[in-house]
Formats: sequence, structure tokens, C-alpha cells
Amino acid sequence: MTQPLLSIDDLHKSYGSEEVLEGVGLEMDQGDVTVLIGPSGSGKSTLLRCVNRLTEINSGRIALDGQDVTGAETDVNELRKQVGMVFQDFNLFAHLTALENVTLGPKKVLGMDAADAEAAGRNHLEQVGLLEQADSYPAELSGGQKQRVGIARALAMDPELLLFDEPTSALDPELVGEVVEVMRDLADEGITMLVVSHEMDFARSAASDIVFLDDGEIVEHGPPEQLFQNPTADRTEQFLSRLHAHEETA
Amino acid sequence: MSTAESTTSPNPGLWDRIGTVFTVRPLTVGLALFWVWVLARWTTDFVLAGVSGFDRGTPFIPAAPFLTTADAVASLATPLGAAGAPLVWVADTLRFTADATAYLPALAHGIWTTILLTVFSVCLGFTLALPLSVVRVYGGRWARWLALSYTELIRGTPLLAQLFVLYFATSLTQVLRGVPGVGVGFVPAQAFWVAVISFTLNSAAYQSEYLRASLESVDGGQLTAARAIGLSKLEGIRYVVVPQGLRLALPSWTNELVYLIKYSSLASFITVQELYGRTSTIANETYQYTELFVLVAILYLALVVSASALMDRVESHAATAGVGHTRQ
Ligand SMILES: Nc1ncnc2c1ncn2[C@@H]1O[C@H](COP(=O)(O)OP(=O)(O)O)[C@@H](O)[C@H]1O
Ligand SMILES: [Mg+2]
Repeated sequence: MTQPLLSIDDLHKSYGSEEVLEGVGLEMDQGDVTVLIGPSGSGKSTLLRCVNRLTEINSGRIALDGQDVTGAETDVNELRKQVGMVFQDFNLFAHLTALENVTLGPKKVLGMDAADAEAAGRNHLEQVGLLEQADSYPAELSGGQKQRVGIARALAMDPELLLFDEPTSALDPELVGEVVEVMRDLADEGITMLVVSHEMDFARSAASDIVFLDDGEIVEHGPPEQLFQNPTADRTEQFLSRLHAHEETA
Repeated sequence: MSTAESTTSPNPGLWDRIGTVFTVRPLTVGLALFWVWVLARWTTDFVLAGVSGFDRGTPFIPAAPFLTTADAVASLATPLGAAGAPLVWVADTLRFTADATAYLPALAHGIWTTILLTVFSVCLGFTLALPLSVVRVYGGRWARWLALSYTELIRGTPLLAQLFVLYFATSLTQVLRGVPGVGVGFVPAQAFWVAVISFTLNSAAYQSEYLRASLESVDGGQLTAARAIGLSKLEGIRYVVVPQGLRLALPSWTNELVYLIKYSSLASFITVQELYGRTSTIANETYQYTELFVLVAILYLALVVSASALMDRVESHAATAGVGHTRQ
């Protein structure tokens, strides 16, 4: 029996007295692309941040490759080498060029020497179609380009799992496509991805699983065809119809 | 009519150049003259005087021509009575210029001491300010409280009082006197080092405030992203937050440098013969207070303007697109 790459079990997380995650369970195998959907404030970002321990959990279990993620003895910096993250606001290092953004981690965290890190960094920039912009600073890039650098930066650590937190929400509509395309390529290459996104295009074409999170609980999950066409829960149906209405007006 | 003609004048290049020299460049020309003089003075007094029997402190310009001209102008003014007042003023200015040629070598030496004092204090102050500001922003409760107390103590008390405490109320002077090399050759004596320590401690507090504000203005997402690629908090601060914070702090750092150039004059109260100290010594001997303090004001202005110009260069050199002021 193969163990799942990521397994989350009965995860609880509160901020003060407000319980944000109320017993969440989730499993992902190597190569899975799980898309997490749900209304704003439902706890999607919090769930992602628990996985790479930007946030500490209250109770429950998270295991990556069978290794306990949340234990006190777990080295968070080791964990984060294996879990890349792509942010809604890009968060590119503003004082570094695109290439330097991509090579900082390999140089300082993985201890690669500068030449190797740069060669690898250029490959990753090429992978997201930005080799030309290697020497540009974030302020000189479009939103779509910034997010592709953000993806390259995460890829450069050669992680086992990539987390995406609404990677296209801060983008002008005409720039969404280029980022979705890069993400779809990654999915095709078999990279394991946990993606918070309401980009239906991506969800339909790349996701192996859709998870609907509402009010800190997983209401429903399943393959995209099933969840989108025949949702079992009323809450899912309502959310999807609102999402469609929004998509048509946008 | 005149604008159209002048722009199409036969030799615009030449006129432009003259125009630039006389309208935009006087500051640059003045600063260049100032530094040529200062460097020539240091070379003759500190280097050549030792090597080749050059007289230390001999004025570059003789006083005599100014004095004879002054006498001539004054004698023209006498028969004119009250109407000769402007001529009298010219004669007085010439006489002061004659005196100033005798004072300037000593003031150039004072400039050297002022620059040493300022540069040492700002640089040493910075090495303290950086960890202080990082503690202020990222430290634990007690460390933060300690750093804050230090900053508030220093910023809440007069610099002169701090200087006096170190000089008179501690044994720092004796300790420094015992350090081998202090006061020997080019190494200034202990009072200078007491001033450096005092200004360093003071400047560290102010600089840490500027740096704290800059570190806080770096977007929080920067450190989050640094942590997310596996950098420790300290590494994230070092490689991501601090480099951006320093660029943002440069303008206020320029302020601090300018302040310290001027505040370093307080060192004269503990006998350090920096620019202000030398000036007041001469003034006390000659009673030419007004003239000398106008002169020293001009010299401080030259130092301050030079420092700002230098920092402008540093800023545009350090600027990357989107952080600090933008490079063209
Ligand atoms: N650092 C925090 N401190 C306090 N409350 C937070 C924090 N982060 C998120 N929350 C709260 O947790 C809930 C879920 O937030 P989040 O995970 O960001 O939701 P989503 O990403 O689905 O929009 C929200 O009510 C939000 O206000
Ligand atoms: Mg969110």
C-alpha cells in the first residue's frame, strides 16, 4: 500500500475564540492536483498556511510523505524546502532581479554554489517563459510576469508539493491566462499541487480533485466532473451557481 | 522676441556653457574650490611638512596685498565722509580677508578633525543601530523593551550632557589615555575618542529609529515569502528585509550625517580642537568673533552640502527599480 504524499486529519485551527478550521481532513497522492474552492473567509488560506507551518495548528495531524509536519521537533526550514508556496500578492523580493529571486533559496537554503544556482534558475525562468526578463526587477514586470517568477522561485527549491493561494486573483483578467497556462504545464509534468483558486478553466482541465470548503469544514470533494455537474450538497450548489453568475458577468 | 532670438543665436553651445557655469554651477564650482583648498592644505601640513622642511600652516595667499588695497580704499573713503561708507565696508572686508588667510590653515586642520569625528561616529553608530533596530522590530518582548529604553534614554537627554558624563563622570578618559598609540603621531588624543564614543552611542539611537521605521515599512509579505522558501527568520531579515530597509533609510540617514557634522562641534567643550573648537580659540584671542563665526559657518555649510551631494550619489547608486528612489 502506498502512503499518500500529504495527509491531513481532523485539523483544528482557531484565531482567538474564532474556530477557522473545524476538523478538516484531506489526502493527496503524488502527482495529484487538488483545487480548493470556497467562499471568502472559509479558511482556505489558513489551511494552506498550516501545511507549510506559516501558521501553527491547534490540534489534528498533518503528514508529508509520512513525516509529521506539526511536531515540535520538526524542523520547519527542512519542511519548507519540500513545500513551495505561491502567493496571491506575489511577494517577490523587491530588491532582487527575477533571477536573483529564483536563486536566493537554492543558494542560501540548499547551499548551491552561485554558478549552479544561476544555471538552474535560468532553466526555471525558461520553464515559465521568462528567460528574457532574468535581469528585470519586480517593479519592471507585469502582474502575470511577477506571478510566473513567483512560481519559478517556488520550483527552484525542487519541492515535493506546491501550494498556490489564489495565484491569479490579483491579476488583471487579460493576464490570468499566462499564469494558468504555466500551472497547467506543471500539472501535466506530474507536480503535486494544492491550489486555492476559482479559475474554473484550470479546475476543469487540470484538477484531479475539487474540495469545497465552507465555514471551516470540507462540505464536499470529488473529481471535477462530479462536483461541478452533480454536487450533492445544497451549499456546494449555491456556491457554484454564484460562482458561475460571477464568471458570466466578469 | 528676445527669447526666439536668443535660442537661435549664432553660437548657442558657447552661450549655454557660459550660462551653465554662471547660473547652475556656482555651487559645484564653490565646492570644488573648497575641496581643492582643503586637500592642498592637508597635503602641505600633514604630508609635505614632515618630509621636506615645508612650513606647517603657512598661508597659501599672502596677506600683504589685501592690506595695502584695504589702506588705499580706506584713504579714498575718508574725504567722502558719510557717503564713503560702502568703501569703508570694502576696506574692512579686505582687512578681514587678510586676517583670514592667517586663520585658514588652522581651520583646515579643524575640518580634518571634524570629518574624522563625524565619519567614525556615524559608521560605528550604524553598526550598533542595525542590530538595535532589528531587535526593535523583530525581537522578543524584553529585548524590544531594552532596545526601546536605550533609544529613549539617549534621545531624551541632551547630547552635551551625555558627552560631559562620559568625559567627567567616568574613568573613560584615563582608560583611553592608557591605550597604546592614543595621542601619538596622527592618532588623536583621548578627548577625541571620548567624543567618538559619545557620538557613536548617541547616533546609534537616532539611526536605529530611522532604520526601525524603514524596516517596518517593508511589506510583511516579504518576510513571509522568505520563510516560505526555507530561510530562517534571521536569514529572511538579513537577506530580504534589511537590504530593502537600508535603501529606504538612506534619505533619513543623510539627515543624520548632516546633523552629526554640526553637532560634532560640541566636542570642543571637552577640548577637542575640531573646526568649531579651533575657530573659538582664535576668536577668543583676536576678538574677531563676527568675522570668524561667519567664516566657520561657511565652512560647515560646505561640509554639509558636500555630504548631501555624496549621499545623493550613494542613493541613486543603491536604488533598484521599485526600492528607494528610481534609477533612470
Ligand atoms: N492571522 C489571523 N489572525 C486572526 N484571524 C485570522 C488570521 N488569518 C485569518 N483569520 C480569519 O480566519 C478566517 C479565515 O481566513 P482565511 O483562511 O484567510 O480565509 P480564505 O482564504 O478562505 O478567504 C477569516 O475569518 C479571517 O478573518
Ligand atoms: Mg485567502
